[in-house]
Amino acid sequence: MDRLEKLFCLHWSRSLRWGALLGGVIALPSLAAAQAMAAPPAKPATAVSKPAARVSAPAHRVYPEALVEAGESNFRQACAFCHGRGADGGEGGPDLTQSKLVAEDVDGDKIGGVVRKGRTDKGMPPFDYSDAKIASLAAFIHTRKYLAESKPGGRKGVAVADLQTGNLAAGRQYFVGAGGCANCHSATGDLSGIATRYEGLALEQRMLYPNSAKASVTVTRAGQTTIGTLAYLDEFTLALTDSKGVYHSWRTSDVQYKVDAPANAHIEQLPKYTDADVHNLMAYLQSLR
Amino acid sequence: MKLCKAVFLVTSAIIAMLAPAVLHAQDATAQMLVHPPADSWPSYHGDYSGRRHSALTQITPQNVKNLSLAWAFQTNQTATIKSSPLLVDGVLYFTVPDNIWAVDARSGHQIWRYTYPPSKGEYIGQRGVAIYKGYLYFMTPDAHLVSLNAKNGKVRWKVTVGDVNKGYWSTMAPLVVGNHVLVGVGGDLDNITGYLRAVDPDTGATQWQWDSTPPAGTPNQTTGGMTWITGTYDPDLNLIYWGTGNPTPVLNGAARPGDDLYTCSIVALHADTGQLAWAFQPAPHDTHDWDAVQIPVLVDGDFHGEPKKMLMQASRNGYFFVLDRTNGKNLLTVPFGPVNWATGIDAKGQPIPDPAKEPAPDGRLIAPDEGGLTNYRSPSFDTKTGLFIVSAHPAWSLYFTKPADGTYGWAGADYTVWGKGVIEAIDYQTGKIRWSHEIGGESGAGVLTTDSGLAFTGDSHGNVLALDSSDGKTLWHAGSGASSQSSPITYVLDGRQFVLTSSGSVMFAWALPEAQ
Repeated sequence: MDRLEKLFCLHWSRSLRWGALLGGVIALPSLAAAQAMAAPPAKPATAVSKPAARVSAPAHRVYPEALVEAGESNFRQACAFCHGRGADGGEGGPDLTQSKLVAEDVDGDKIGGVVRKGRTDKGMPPFDYSDAKIASLAAFIHTRKYLAESKPGGRKGVAVADLQTGNLAAGRQYFVGAGGCANCHSATGDLSGIATRYEGLALEQRMLYPNSAKASVTVTRAGQTTIGTLAYLDEFTLALTDSKGVYHSWRTSDVQYKVDAPANAHIEQLPKYTDADVHNLMAYLQSLR
Repeated sequence: MKLCKAVFLVTSAIIAMLAPAVLHAQDATAQMLVHPPADSWPSYHGDYSGRRHSALTQITPQNVKNLSLAWAFQTNQTATIKSSPLLVDGVLYFTVPDNIWAVDARSGHQIWRYTYPPSKGEYIGQRGVAIYKGYLYFMTPDAHLVSLNAKNGKVRWKVTVGDVNKGYWSTMAPLVVGNHVLVGVGGDLDNITGYLRAVDPDTGATQWQWDSTPPAGTPNQTTGGMTWITGTYDPDLNLIYWGTGNPTPVLNGAARPGDDLYTCSIVALHADTGQLAWAFQPAPHDTHDWDAVQIPVLVDGDFHGEPKKMLMQASRNGYFFVLDRTNGKNLLTVPFGPVNWATGIDAKGQPIPDPAKEPAPDGRLIAPDEGGLTNYRSPSFDTKTGLFIVSAHPAWSLYFTKPADGTYGWAGADYTVWGKGVIEAIDYQTGKIRWSHEIGGESGAGVLTTDSGLAFTGDSHGNVLALDSSDGKTLWHAGSGASSQSSPITYVLDGRQFVLTSSGSVMFAWALPEAQ
């Protein structure tokens, strides 16, 4: 572990040095982390649902067998690798039988949009499919959902009930103590009622790293300073959205800039957690209702 | 006498001038595959070593700033190009699932296109073809091997490599070694046996098959060990080196106690018989989908003062390994990014998996994530600097499995919490990272290095990058509109050096401007 930590520290310090060599960077807490802010977010939780707003599955609909079979064939060709052959999750892709979007879908009206647009930020490419092909996929996915829900012995995947092994008091202690969470967050402030807004895996993922967190950036060029929300950053181009919603971009080599990404503290915490810390902290956050 | 000599010289000169025209047609023979000419890229890695390093020096750190587009080829497909092109006789061959294009390497125009009929197979990707004596070898989503005439794309024969109904598919580029076409399979969604097969290049008949794991259904034994990335070959030792995939069920290890041989392994097989010479297991008893199929890169050189025939792998599980490829003995095992799943390294140099970091009903926080610290994208060994350059993906994730997830196929769930992308240059003698270069998120682009001191790759934003291979500094870039999911190649034609990169469904050829 010592060796690893050393390696990782070395790695980060070198990143900073190269960041500095990019030119024009005055204060750069971590270009790496700032880039990660602008990079596609990590894979999503399957169920980002508000308990109060949970939509119950529509009454089971029986689709024509030929349509389900066509859907299975189409699903197997393009979807099964990531979402599993039974649409119940696989390599990188969420369990569609427990998806909120699928629960709200009627005959492909929601599924079709996702299939055709893709979710390129999450690694899903768009598929230029006909209405008939979408209808077959929807029929297959809804049928799999029904089968999964009818199966005895509990559901696959991660349920809210699975994430109740932590100790609340230890979690509170970690929050104010070793975890350093209280440096930025407050149970009566920003996190007040957090457990009514997020639950289960979605809450735990957000706790470990909030993908949707915004970073702010201050850009200086020829003595003129612009402040806004970081909209894009790679090695060559920097962009922000200002308070009026206007997009501005620069070559990174032409400006000095400072990215303020508070969520980076979450990245620094990742190597420090024990699994018990995660479960305890989760128990504490789930108590904030 | 003088006249005689002059006539002789003139005649020689004429012959020399004519000879290239007469002999120009390249034939991808066994000999050519061992010693590929500069105007070819006749196998997946360019040569048998897997180093993805070229001796070409026309494009240099000094002039690379002038690099510009020579041509682009639009496949007009929604499928992403994941193939590494081949180049023989001025013709490029590259693929997406069910499709091969033969394209003029000078101009980028299509010569012919072949399409395979849609099947029930897996369309996750297609990594390219192999060529031997005028015929191409192409794997299909339903795990068939098709041999086609390289001149016109006409099918010569088709054989079944895996049963699609059992869950086999194939995405890999075959490797031709001597008189063998080596083909592998994929199939993570089912508990089935992985294998590598040698096929007769003329007839498609099976010559030998090596199974990674016992037959499906053997009690307490693993399945899996797929062979989905092209291996390497040492002609002197006549050994082929191949990485094998993860065990199945994937995230639930209870049903397959022990090391699960030979999953997540690097194996050395006798090329003519398929017999196992030795095996090394980067990830014993894997429960995180960290197959060890990443390119086994072959390097001859000094290791702590001794000349060695080495094999290097930056493995998906986060460790960089150096082995003696004559016998599989470990020389170095070092993580190249954050890893937290092993309690140490055993006497054989293999990481010891921590049982507390196996997936669990309430989740385990694991580094790296399922995609791994690296993956299918090729690394490059730069013979000039002695650096092993790899596109890495430091990441943290949550891994779950519970009884309801069963013991078949995936058997669990995992979610990336956070990750980023970094090009890392590893000193192979120590594992120390000499330089690193941030590329945003994870990138699918592999790395190509050249003798002039350049490393070509891509970032997650769609920028094609040329880096100084000695320090990682960016010397040239071009926004390409989509991130790359393939590994660059280079060749010289008509005295002009080309670098090929793909982004999305487009193939780009880059070169220095032509003299007007």
